[in-house]
Amino acid sequence: MSKKAYIVVTNNPLVKEQLDETVGVCYFSEDSHRDLLERVRDFVHKGYRILTHPLAGSVKPWETPYRSVMITAKREEKTDLFSLEMIEQAIFALEKSKARPVTLNEKVLADFQIVDFSLIQSALPSAEAHGQH
Amino acid sequence: MKLELGYIDIKGIRFDDYNAIEDGVLVVDPDELVKPVLEDELIKSAHFEIATPGESIRITPVKDVIEPRVKVEGPGEIFPGMIAKVDTVGSGRTHVMRGMAVVTAGPIVGFQEGIIDMTGPGADYTPFSQLHNLVLVMEMEDSGASAHEYEKAARMAGLATAVRVGELARELEPDEIEVFETPTIAQSYSDELKDLPRVAYVMMLQSQGLLHDTYVYGVDVKRTLTTMLSATEVMDGAIVSGNCVSACDKNTTYHHLNNPVIQDLFKQHGKTLNFVGTIITNENVYLADKLRSSDWTAKLAGFLSLDAAIVSQEGFGNPDTDLILNCKKLEAQGIKTVIITDEYAGQDGKSQSLADADPAADAVVTGGNANQPIVLPPMDCVIGTLDYVDKIAGGHDGSLRPDGSIEAELQVITGATNEMGFNRLSAR
Repeated sequence: MSKKAYIVVTNNPLVKEQLDETVGVCYFSEDSHRDLLERVRDFVHKGYRILTHPLAGSVKPWETPYRSVMITAKREEKTDLFSLEMIEQAIFALEKSKARPVTLNEKVLADFQIVDFSLIQSALPSAEAHGQH
Repeated sequence: MKLELGYIDIKGIRFDDYNAIEDGVLVVDPDELVKPVLEDELIKSAHFEIATPGESIRITPVKDVIEPRVKVEGPGEIFPGMIAKVDTVGSGRTHVMRGMAVVTAGPIVGFQEGIIDMTGPGADYTPFSQLHNLVLVMEMEDSGASAHEYEKAARMAGLATAVRVGELARELEPDEIEVFETPTIAQSYSDELKDLPRVAYVMMLQSQGLLHDTYVYGVDVKRTLTTMLSATEVMDGAIVSGNCVSACDKNTTYHHLNNPVIQDLFKQHGKTLNFVGTIITNENVYLADKLRSSDWTAKLAGFLSLDAAIVSQEGFGNPDTDLILNCKKLEAQGIKTVIITDEYAGQDGKSQSLADADPAADAVVTGGNANQPIVLPPMDCVIGTLDYVDKIAGGHDGSLRPDGSIEAELQVITGATNEMGFNRLSAR
């Protein structure tokens, strides 16, 4: 278990490969994008808070099968309503585009892994700098 | 800060064995111009092509669009911190090669996007179909370098090329000169201005890692706090795009240099409003960053004693949350706020347009629905490659039809739903 104040919930194998040794990673290889968001919602219901926005920035949610979300490592007694609102909005955004075709090209999938990893990587300096998550 | 922009109208581009501007025509030696680009060992091959308005040409995948400029008076050079040394720009005189752009094209990641059609229905959706484009097509070395490194190589090659081209306008007499002057705080309370509503522009910048970054004076914006600059600094290239994705609503470097919100606020300054400042803020992934940056937006707006603000977004998805946070916190201080965004409302336009919303966001300008389907007919010539059309955002497997036409969403077209309001089409 990580000694960090945060963990990363992901279905992206690259995130597991790159961060597993330094950051706690909860990896769910079989999860779809939607499964992963619902799993994060379960974490929120149990008292974990979301630390990174669950939606990608400018990569269409229906395009990429990968998602990584940083949450607090420590469970709190109360459900955080801000986190709950965020994750519900993200699931809603994904839901409205569920009929979209999904890309299965290997090279493209590899690049989606890189971009998802890059998003979570961009949050690491902020997460490290924060005393209070 | 006072800046004169001297516009040199460019009416065409042609290749030759020398570089010059002759009677409004840019003459370039493509072999000479490409040499410094190829010095970067990450770039395997590069060449230039010309695309003229009205020609049956499709440029894809487009990375950035850059207007050549050169500083002829005043401190600093164009693109400080990127191409030039860090020095405060935005005063003196700058020559602008109006009517043309350097366009960078070439693959960086497999789902990259960006189409500029120079004619046909797609041309109506991109402002860049109206420009004489000098297209720098690059292919990256398959050397195992990271996508980050490729993005940087392509970004720097485009900016450096634009600077070299811009240098040709240094000694020319401009066709038109426009003067822009930003007031100090004290000047904003002068007799002529004090009774007008105090308005600032809040410019949101993409800052989320690979393919989503923006640089201000060479600083990666995700590592900054919300800050202020003079609107004239933006005209000298203080802000550059490092953004590859979301062609329809990314702000290219051209958009930054020619920011229409800034242009319009200057036009109204001293008449209907008092344009007192420009605030730049980021769109980070980390939620605490979003909260902090929007707090600072509201705080700086308070320092300026604003009556109203215009907020422009870049991209979509989690930046919708930054947009709404900025809007809510400004409105909570009694600052009337207008937001400029675009919509992902589904192909039928019936779904919720943004991923976040709030009753405070009651004045919204939209750049259009990025999900709107469009069929782009085949073109006689493709600059770049169609290999990526099936993968680009808004396209999908099967987007590229056998006859070369493309069935996709507006998302694929560079600048189609720009959130600075740069679009050419509108509904009234």
